[in-house]
Amino acid sequence: MPVSGFWNTVRTDLARYVGKSELSKRRMLRTIYWEPGFQGVFVYRFGRLLLSKGDVILLWPLLALGWVAYALMVLVIRKGYDIGLSLSAEIGPGFYVGHFGGVEVHGCRMAENCSVGQLTKVGAADQVDGPQIGSGVWIGSHAKIPAPVKVGDQATIAPGARVLKDVPPKALIVGDPGRVVFRGFDNSRILPGR
Amino acid sequence: MSAILKNKDARDKSPPTGPDAMFTDGPAVRDIWPAVRDDFRFYCSLHFPKGAGFPRRLLRCLRSAGFVLLAFLRAERNYVDCRRRDGWTLRLLALRIFLAFAKPLEFMMTKSDVWVSTDIGPNVYLSDRGYLFLGPWSVGSGTVIHDRVLIGAKAAQSDARPTIGANVWIGPECVIYGDSRLGDGCTVLPGSVLSMNVPDRAVVGGNPGVIVRRDFDNTDLRRSLSANIDRETLKCR
Repeated sequence: MPVSGFWNTVRTDLARYVGKSELSKRRMLRTIYWEPGFQGVFVYRFGRLLLSKGDVILLWPLLALGWVAYALMVLVIRKGYDIGLSLSAEIGPGFYVGHFGGVEVHGCRMAENCSVGQLTKVGAADQVDGPQIGSGVWIGSHAKIPAPVKVGDQATIAPGARVLKDVPPKALIVGDPGRVVFRGFDNSRILPGR
Repeated sequence: MSAILKNKDARDKSPPTGPDAMFTDGPAVRDIWPAVRDDFRFYCSLHFPKGAGFPRRLLRCLRSAGFVLLAFLRAERNYVDCRRRDGWTLRLLALRIFLAFAKPLEFMMTKSDVWVSTDIGPNVYLSDRGYLFLGPWSVGSGTVIHDRVLIGAKAAQSDARPTIGANVWIGPECVIYGDSRLGDGCTVLPGSVLSMNVPDRAVVGGNPGVIVRRDFDNTDLRRSLSANIDRETLKCR
């Protein structure tokens, strides 16, 4: 990942919090201070950047400093806000973490513009192939996706649902175990940062 | 119209509009210290039914995420109400600066967030273990809320927020969202997900939630933190 790509990704993440129409500097600074979710996503992006530069030997002294900074930031994010975005997850640009506390994203693959709430568990820690999640998926708080399932684009997973089967695109999943209660559900109203 | 503008009582009673509307329904401005002192007494009566020394009680409450959260909420609520009433004063400026720096630390310590516009009554117990994300219209007095609970979803950018009645017991891992009303004295079993109205004194549970039993007395559950809830106490099949 080039460094310019890193900044573009971070800007896309920030736009999810601020709202695309109101991307003023003042609002951006407020969001960076007040949104632990964005801070967590930023630290995750930083860690991925360091990972992607690992094969350039000339950069290793710089990378060592970077990993120390990453370790300190992860300590605050994990212990303080309890947001666990593992570097084994591949998350597309525009990732939104609502609130903080108990977010665990491990070993999964997420496309762009996904949103998760607090106390959400996506993927199990020791899985190699975790769940694959399409673009624009809204995962409510307390939802759990432990199994390596495929979640279609723009699906909506209601708060408290537990997904154990594949999810078709644009479906609304409710309950434990989760079942499709509605197909063709338009979740553009509940996606943050329109 | 001019009569309304001149008559102060009529003006105060006219329905509020705009973004301030959500703050006007509550009771009058409450001072911080009396409210925190009442919370302190209630927490101590729950944690130490037989009584304990003051240092021990103070330490127990300062370690409790719910007490710290409530104290912050009282201060924040006092700040919002006073600013609406008086405008800027030196005390409010100091309070604002303190809150701006202490709020992230509070997030880290309690791992929970409560919307300022929530009316939380006296004698409310919020869990010691935190992970509470609350945004209902109001929480009645005598309510017990355990850890890892979400009440109210702002996701749809709508005004649909739940209302929690008095003397409600909400178990851990619960999600309550949408335009729902929990009646007085009802019991929400652990791990349930609700978006419906619940009648008074009912027991609800499950994901999605259903009414398990009607007319259940949850006084024992609320009085003691060590009380247990199972099929025996529920007296259902």
